[in-house]
Amino acid sequence: MRIDHHPILKTFEKGKLVKFLYDGKVMEGYEGEPIAVALRANGVMIHRYTSKHNDPRGVFCAIGRCTDCVMVVDGEPNIRTCITPLQEDMKIETQYGISNNKEDESI
Amino acid sequence: MTMKMERKLIQGDFIPRADDELIVCRCEEITQGEIRKAVYDGMFTMNEVKRYLRAGMGLCQGQTCSRLVQNIIARELGLAPGEVEISTSRSPARPIQMKQMAKDGVKK
Amino acid sequence: MKRYELIIIGAGPAGLSAAIEAASNGMQVIVFDENERPGGQLFKQIHKFFGSKEHKAKERGFRIGEKLLKEAEDLGVEVQLKAAVMGIFDDKEISVMLDGRVEHYRANNIVIATGASEKMLPFPGWTLPGVIGAGAAQTMMNLHGLKPGARVLMVGSGNVGLVVGYQLLQAGCKLEAVIDAAPRVGGYGVHAAKLARTGVPFYMSHTIKEADGDSCVKGAAILAVDSSWQPIPGSEKYLEVDTICMAVGLSPMSQLARTAHCEMENNPLKGGLVSICNKYGETSTPGVYAVGDVAGIEEASSAMIQGKIAGAAISFDKGYISEAEFTTRYEEYQNSLMQLREGMFGHKDKDSADTEHTEEGYTLSQSLLSKGYMEAEEIGEYPGIYPAEYRSKGVFPVIECSQNIPCNPCQDACKRGCIKVSGKITNLPSVDTSVECTACGMCVVSCPGQAIFLVDETLAPGYASVAIPYEFYPLPEPGSKGLALDRSGTSLGEAEVLKVQSSKAMDETAVLTMKVPVEWSMQARFFQVY
Repeated sequence: MRIDHHPILKTFEKGKLVKFLYDGKVMEGYEGEPIAVALRANGVMIHRYTSKHNDPRGVFCAIGRCTDCVMVVDGEPNIRTCITPLQEDMKIETQYGISNNKEDESI
Repeated sequence: MTMKMERKLIQGDFIPRADDELIVCRCEEITQGEIRKAVYDGMFTMNEVKRYLRAGMGLCQGQTCSRLVQNIIARELGLAPGEVEISTSRSPARPIQMKQMAKDGVKK
Repeated sequence: MKRYELIIIGAGPAGLSAAIEAASNGMQVIVFDENERPGGQLFKQIHKFFGSKEHKAKERGFRIGEKLLKEAEDLGVEVQLKAAVMGIFDDKEISVMLDGRVEHYRANNIVIATGASEKMLPFPGWTLPGVIGAGAAQTMMNLHGLKPGARVLMVGSGNVGLVVGYQLLQAGCKLEAVIDAAPRVGGYGVHAAKLARTGVPFYMSHTIKEADGDSCVKGAAILAVDSSWQPIPGSEKYLEVDTICMAVGLSPMSQLARTAHCEMENNPLKGGLVSICNKYGETSTPGVYAVGDVAGIEEASSAMIQGKIAGAAISFDKGYISEAEFTTRYEEYQNSLMQLREGMFGHKDKDSADTEHTEEGYTLSQSLLSKGYMEAEEIGEYPGIYPAEYRSKGVFPVIECSQNIPCNPCQDACKRGCIKVSGKITNLPSVDTSVECTACGMCVVSCPGQAIFLVDETLAPGYASVAIPYEFYPLPEPGSKGLALDRSGTSLGEAEVLKVQSSKAMDETAVLTMKVPVEWSMQARFFQVY
C-alpha cells in the first residue's frame, strides 16, 4: 500500500522503522507517522467495533475530526489513530465500545 | 415562527420509510428513523433532537452528522434546512479530557 | 493571560496570508493551528493552481504552502501548532488547548480562518471501513505516502473529486469510476478530461445505492437517477472496489465564529452557515474577522487574498498603515479577488449559469459536461484549436480549453506570443497562426488543466507527433511502445515514444512526445504504457 515513488512528490520523509504491537502481533511502521497509516500499510482496516451494533469502523476523515478510527493505545481508549504519531513498542488494540476487551459487559 | 406554531406543523401518524435503518450519527449510532420519530415526538430543533437521542453528542461532537440531522428535521417539517434552529455552539469546540480542562489557569 | 495585537486561528492559506500582511506592516501576530503541520490543506494539493501570476498560478499547492511558511517565518510570525482553540469569549479572549492544558490569550483583533469540513453523504454501508472522505485520501497519499486503496470509486464530480481522483491515479491506484447524482460534471472540464483520457468512466445522474461488504468495503452498487433524483429501476451496476471516496462538498467550519457571537446567515452559495462580513472580512463582532473557506467555500487562491485584505484592514485600523496605503492595497487585492470569481464556476448562483455557451458565445461541449471529455467533432469550435489550413507548416499548439475559467499562465508561457487570453482572465485562449512554434513545451506544462498539446503532422509521411503533458511514474523511455488513447480513454492503437522532456522549470510535468499515424493527430491525447 505504500507509494514507493511518486511522480510529483518523489519520496516521503519518514522516521526510523520501528516495531509495534497490534492486538498482540508484532508489526512494523515508521516512527512519527500516524498510527492509522502504519496499520493500513500492514493491511489493518478495522480499528474498532461500535458499542450498540458491534459494527466495524476504520479510518473515515483521517484528520482527527470524525473520531471513527479511535483505538486503545497503550491502555488508553478513544485515541484518534489518524493523528497520533506512532512510537516504538506502542501497544495498539482494537477497541470494543470503549474497551479493549471484546467480552466487557460494562460497555 | 413561535414554538407553538412549529408544533402544529406535523399532523398524522409516523409513517416508516424503507431507509429508516440508515445510520446518521456515526458516533452514537442513531438512525434516520429514530430522528424522524423524534421529530414526530415534538423535537423540532437541533438541540432538542440532540438531547432526546444523543445524536451529535458523541465523541466527534456532531462534526459529521449535524448537517444531516438538520436536513432530516427540515424535511420532516417541510422547511428549508436553514430554517431549522441549530444547536448551540459553545466552548470547548474540540474534544478535551477532563484532566486537561481541570488544568485551566494552573501555572506550569 | 498572554496578549497579542492580532490572534489568527488557522494556519492555512487564509490565516497565513493575513498573518504575513499584518506582520509585514509591523504588527505582533500569533497564529494557532490544531494540526501537527501548518499550511491547512495546501500541503495535500499537489496539482498546479489556476489563476494568473499574481495568484501564484501554475505553482503546485504544496510549494505555495512552503513559500507562505517561509514568508511568515521571515517576518517573525509566531505559529503555534497542536493548539486547538476551544472558544472565543467576550473582549476577544480565546482559550486554547495546548500541551495538555488550557491557556488563555487576548488580542485587539482576531481573524478566524478555520477553513471547512467535508460534507458527507449517508448511504447503506457508509460506516464500513473503506468508505472515506476525499480529504482522507489526500492526507494518506500526499502527506504519508500511502495508497488509500487499490480500486477506488469517487463519489462527486466537483473539483475536489476530480483533483483527488487524478491524485489517486498518480499514487498508483485504479479509479474505477467517478459518479455524481447531478447530470453535469460539477468541476472544471479540464480536470475531468485528465481522468477521462486515461480511461476513467464518468457516470453522471448516478448515485450510490450501497457499499457492499461485511467487515470492509468489497464493492459498491450504483444506480441511475432521473431528473427528480428518483432511482431508475433496472439501472443498477456493481463495481468491485475496496475504497469509496466521498467528495460531495465542503461546509464552512463556523463553530468558533458562533462562540464569538458573530451574526450568521445560511447561504447556500457560500456552502452553508457563515458569519455575515463586511467587505474587509469583519464580522458583526467588532475586531473579529472571518476569512477563507469559513467565510464561504472558494479556492485556496481566493482565501489567500481574503487573508491579505483582512490583514491590511486590521493594520490600517490600528494605525500601522496610512489610509492612502490601505486604499491602494485594498483595491489591488479586491481586483485580484474579483478576477478569481469570474466565469462559469465563479462565486455565484450555479443554477443560473449558462450551460450552453461560453461568455464569448462559443458552444459549450455537452459531452464534456456529461461524460468528462470532448467529442472530436466538438473540438473545432474553440479559439485555441489551431486552424486546419495552417497545420501543414510544422509543429502547432492545440489548446483544448473550452470553459470560462479564471486562468492565464498559457499566455506567459509562450515567449514568442503565440497564445493570448484577451480581455477578461476567464476568456478562452486563442492561438496566433503568424507565430512559429518552436515546440519548447512550456505551454504544455504551464496549463494547470493540462489541456495544451503540440502536434506535428509533418513528422514523416503518414505519421504525426503528439506531445502531451505526463505526470505519472515511471516516465516511459524514448523508443518504448504503448497505446495511444483518445479523449475518452479508448485505445486507438500502438504509439511510439519519441522523446520525454522534463526540467526544473517544468516542475514535474513531463512533455511526452509520441509518434502516431497522422489520422490520429487530433485524437490521440494520452499514452498508456504496455
